[in-house]
Amino acid sequence: MRARSGRHRQGPGARRESAKSDHGQVGAGGRSETRVATRRHDVGGSRVSRRPPARTWPVAALVLLLVTATDSAARRHEPKPRAGDLPAGWETRIRVSPESGPTRSLDGETYVGVNDLARLLDATKYWRSDVRKLVLRARAHRIQLTVDNPFALIDDRTVRLPAPVRSRGGELQVPVALVDSLPHDSTLARLRYDPGRKVVLQVPASGVVGAPQIVAQPSGTTLWFPIDRPEDFVVAGRARAHFRLRFSGFFIGVLPDTLAPPSLVRSIRSIRSAVGSGFELEVVPLAAGYRLVRDQGGGRMGVVIASRPAPDLEEFAPEGPPGPRRLRVVVLDPGHGGSDAGVAVPGVVEKDLTLRLARLLKVELERRLSARVVLTREDDRKLSVDQRAEKANRARADLVLSLHFDGFSSPAARGATVYCPPATFGLQSESERTASAAELQVLQWRDVGTRHAVLSRELAEAVLSSLELHGQGPTRLREVLPSSLLGVNAPGLMMECATLTSAADRQRLAEPNGLGDLAASIAEGVQSYQRNE
Amino acid sequence: MKRLLRRLMVGTVLMAMLAWLAWRWSGPHAAPPSGEGAGADSADAGLKTVRVYFASPGGDSLVSEAREMVEVQSLHERVAALVSELDRGPTGRGVAALPAGTSVLHVYLDDRGLMTLDLSRSFQQGFRGGSSAEYLAVASLIRTLGTNMPEVKRVLLICGGSPIPTLGGHLPLDRPIEISDWP
Repeated sequence: MRARSGRHRQGPGARRESAKSDHGQVGAGGRSETRVATRRHDVGGSRVSRRPPARTWPVAALVLLLVTATDSAARRHEPKPRAGDLPAGWETRIRVSPESGPTRSLDGETYVGVNDLARLLDATKYWRSDVRKLVLRARAHRIQLTVDNPFALIDDRTVRLPAPVRSRGGELQVPVALVDSLPHDSTLARLRYDPGRKVVLQVPASGVVGAPQIVAQPSGTTLWFPIDRPEDFVVAGRARAHFRLRFSGFFIGVLPDTLAPPSLVRSIRSIRSAVGSGFELEVVPLAAGYRLVRDQGGGRMGVVIASRPAPDLEEFAPEGPPGPRRLRVVVLDPGHGGSDAGVAVPGVVEKDLTLRLARLLKVELERRLSARVVLTREDDRKLSVDQRAEKANRARADLVLSLHFDGFSSPAARGATVYCPPATFGLQSESERTASAAELQVLQWRDVGTRHAVLSRELAEAVLSSLELHGQGPTRLREVLPSSLLGVNAPGLMMECATLTSAADRQRLAEPNGLGDLAASIAEGVQSYQRNE
Repeated sequence: MKRLLRRLMVGTVLMAMLAWLAWRWSGPHAAPPSGEGAGADSADAGLKTVRVYFASPGGDSLVSEAREMVEVQSLHERVAALVSELDRGPTGRGVAALPAGTSVLHVYLDDRGLMTLDLSRSFQQGFRGGSSAEYLAVASLIRTLGTNMPEVKRVLLICGGSPIPTLGGHLPLDRPIEISDWP
C-alpha cells in the first residue's frame, strides 16, 4: 500500500523526467526499427531459482528466515488491505489521483504526447524513421501512428482521428480522441480524457463519473451523471442548501459555474471526498423533493429534483435559521457500561469502545469548538436512562451524542446508523387526532427531545455526511426517538458509529488510528453543524 | 326368550344408529359451498397467502416472503400463526429478525385498532445484537401484523404478561407502536 501511495504521489516533475528520457530516445532513433524504451514491471522476472550450494544453505535459510520475519513485522505496521471493493486511499485517507499525462492544444485540437500515452498504456515504443511511423505495443495490442497522418492503426482496425499526428520538439503528439478508440479489455489500461484538468488519465478500478447533463423542465430538474458503477452512489447530505452526492468513481469533466432558472439547482460544485468523488448541489427552497433514477444499462445515474410533491419523492432535510450555532456545552454519552456490556464480539466489547471513542471525541471537539465537553460516564459503570438524561440536562447541553456500536446477525451488515427524534413524534395517531382534535395535547417530558427534532435532524445530516465522505459508511438515518434520548432537552443523536459484527468495520477500527479517525469524522460533522454551512 | 333376544338386537341397532348420528353431529364438518367465499373452482379453499417480513442481509431494510397458511378464525390463532412463521425464519435471502423461540401467549385487540401482544419470554431473553437488530426485530413483527391484519393500527408489546421498557436497551417499547411509523 505504501508503495502504491508513493507511486501515486509522484509529482509532475517525476513524470516529466520519465517522459523526457523516453522522448530523447525517440528522437535519436536512427535504425530501421529500434526498440526505444521499455517500461515493464519486472516483478519476479529476474529472480533466480537456483538452489544455493550445500555448504551455504543453512546461512541462506537463516537469512531467509530473518527477511521473512522483518517483512512480516513491517507488514504488521502497514495499513492492511481491506476486504470489499473500496478503492485505494481509503485506509490512509489520502486522496489518490490516478496516473495521468498532460495535454496541449495545437491548432485548436487537443493532443497528448506519445511518451505519456505509452507510459499510461504501459506500452513499448518502436520507431521506424524511414517511414516516420511509431508503433506502441502493449501486451497483445498494437497501435501504429504515422506522422502527419490522421489515420491510426489499432490492432486490425483503422481509426480516423480528428486531426493528424504531429511531431513537436522531437516528440509525436496524438489527438486525445484516440483514447476513446482504444480496445476495452483487461489487458490494456483504460484511458479517459479529463477536460476539466486537461489531462489524459488512467481510469482507476473504481471507475469514473462524468460531469452531469442537466435537464431543466417545469416539473423538475434532472442531473444525469455518466457513471461506470451506478451501484456505488449515495446521497451524503439531504439539505437543500448542501445536497451532497458521493460516487466511488473518479470525477472527470467540467462543472457549470451557475445554473439559471428554470433549473431547480442553483449551483453544483465538487467537494472533497476521501472515497471517490463528491458533489454539493444548492437546491432552490421551493423544490419539493428528490428521486434517484438508476439507468445502469445506459451507464448513467439521474437525480431528479422535483418542483411538486409526489408520493415517490424523498424529502429534503429540514433546515433551521442561517448563521453559526452556539455550542457551549456538548454532552457525550458513552453507551452501556458496568454489567451492560452491549455488543460483544471476540476481542471487542461495545461498552469499552464507546468510552474510548468518547474520550477521543472529547479531545477533538474541544480542539475544534470553544465548547465544554461533558461525558456522562468516565469509567466502566452502568447508568440508567434517567441518570444519563439528568446529567445532560444538568449540564445544560446544547447538543447530546449518545455513542454506540451496532451488531447484527448477518455479517453483511456494516456501517453507521443514526437515530434522531422524529418531527412527528408525540402526535397521536390519525384516529386519535380526529377523535380528540379539540383536546389540548400535552407533550410528556420523556418526549421533550422531539422539540429539537429539526435541529437533531440537521445534526444527523451533518454527521452522516461527514462519515460518508470519509468512507465510514454506509450510513443510515432512522427517525425514532431512542431510549438514550428520553427526557433529554437538547438536540441529540444516538449513533451506532460502526457495526462490530462486520469484519471490515472491525478491521477499520482496529487500525492504529481507526478510532481516532472515527472521532475526527464525527467532530467534523459536529463542526459543520455548528457552522451551519 | 326369543322376544328378549329380538328386543336386545333392536336396542343394539338403535343404539349404534344413535351413536353414529351423534358422532356425525359432533365431528368435523366439511366446509359447505358458499356463494360469497371461495369459488367452486378454487383449489385453495382454507389456505390463505400471507406476507411475512424479515430483515435484509445488510440490516438496513426488510424483505418479504409470501407464505401459505391454513385460514383460522380466532384472533389468537391468526397472530400466533404469523409469529410462528416469523420464528420459522426466511426461506429466501432474508435474515430472521425475531429472537428465536418467540411465540404468542395472549392477544387483545380493541375497537380502535390497538393490539396488545403478549409474547413469550424468549422474545426478550433470546435477543442478541445492537440497535439495528432491535429495530428490525420490532419492524419485522409490526410490519407483518400490519400487512396481514389491516384492522391493527397500533401494537403494544408485552412479554410474559409484563410490560417491557425495551428489548435491547436502545428503543423504548413501553408505549404502543404506530404501525405507520415503522418501515
